[in-house]
Amino acid sequence: MSDEFQENLIASIQRFLPFVTSVLWVLVSYLPLDTFTANNLRPDVGLTCVFFWTLYRPDVFNLFSVYLLGLVVDIVTSAPFGSNVFSFLVMYLLVSNLAAYFTAKPFVVTWYGFALFGLITMLARWLLVSVYYSQFLPLPMLMFSVLATIACYPVIGLVNAFIENVLMKDED
Amino acid sequence: MMLINKTDTVIIEKTSSVATDVVSPLIDVLVIPARLLSSVYDYVHELKRIRDDNAVLREENKKLVMMTGKARALEIENRLLSGLLNYTPPPEATFVTARVIAEEGNAFSHSLIAYTAGNPNVKKGQVVLSENGVIGRVEQVGQMYSKIILITDINSKIPVVVERTRVRGILSGDNTSIPKLVFVPLDAKLAIGDRIVTSGVAGVFPPGLPVGKIVSTDKNDIKVKVLGNLDRVEYVRIVDYHIIDAPEPTQTDPSEVEANSNE
Repeated sequence: MSDEFQENLIASIQRFLPFVTSVLWVLVSYLPLDTFTANNLRPDVGLTCVFFWTLYRPDVFNLFSVYLLGLVVDIVTSAPFGSNVFSFLVMYLLVSNLAAYFTAKPFVVTWYGFALFGLITMLARWLLVSVYYSQFLPLPMLMFSVLATIACYPVIGLVNAFIENVLMKDED
Repeated sequence: MMLINKTDTVIIEKTSSVATDVVSPLIDVLVIPARLLSSVYDYVHELKRIRDDNAVLREENKKLVMMTGKARALEIENRLLSGLLNYTPPPEATFVTARVIAEEGNAFSHSLIAYTAGNPNVKKGQVVLSENGVIGRVEQVGQMYSKIILITDINSKIPVVVERTRVRGILSGDNTSIPKLVFVPLDAKLAIGDRIVTSGVAGVFPPGLPVGKIVSTDKNDIKVKVLGNLDRVEYVRIVDYHIIDAPEPTQTDPSEVEANSNE
């Protein structure tokens, strides 16, 4: 195997890493956890990944990746088909247009930003799905899910940052 | 996509079940270490309670032995009386036990994915039970995996009856952990703790299956706590009562239908 081929192969794998890790995060988030909290107020892990990768690596995590990730989540869940794609695209649009505000800012600022975007995105999805069913979905459940999603951002962000800094370093 | 889905197109359903079959094996692999960790924790945790449980179970066993005798006598009596009345018994149920590999619960949906290993007896619409009662119905059947809608999901509507008063209603999921009872007569006498069982109306769910207990009797907000433990569902029983094996509706010409309705 020539060096050039090996380098190309590694570069290709690195390009897919954000999408692959996001899919893994999403699948892990649907594992049965045998607790009331876990089974009723699951964080939207996919949304966290969309925020992180769109903010830090928009070159390898583009609109197509976001769409595909949304489809994967829609397949696993029984929510109206397309509602996850919608929320991921809303998050993608928000982050890609407002990414400049988070450049070279401390982690806490990014976290606050995620909290705000997460809230907007999940409320937009809540409204859309409520229209779909012609009845309002339980808002307290949604708020708890928003809080759970915001709370899990540092953990997912840390692992994703490790992948970005260590495993994707050579690509640049 | 949501609009296409709203029209209940068969192609979307089929594509979705094929896609579920593709994604689910990944979750199935991930679930192995998670289950292992969970079982180790449970093992250590349960060792402490084993002595107390033993005493309770012995006591319960004594009562059950007595009850079994009574039940046998009643069964014989029931069979004799049914024979006298020319009663047609409901069809025998067959079970398929399936392992849960993924769970989902939030403001948008409540569902499970179970490994049904391509069992031909698993069909869309069948009742799903846990140890204590009804927990949902089969929504999508794939080659190896099936998607189950829980009774707490907004799409779940089950015809039920209050066991004590025989008042009928519909148990409607609303994506919270306690579904509500709707379409109940205004003068219905309900009490907290009343057991809710399936009524068998509409012919999808067989009658008499335990569903839950009433926990709130406010006029427009009758809430029911589900008997089946939705938080710890490791295995489910998919029940085939052979009552939904109705023939597939044949394709009819819309103009023909219109003509018939005009008549």
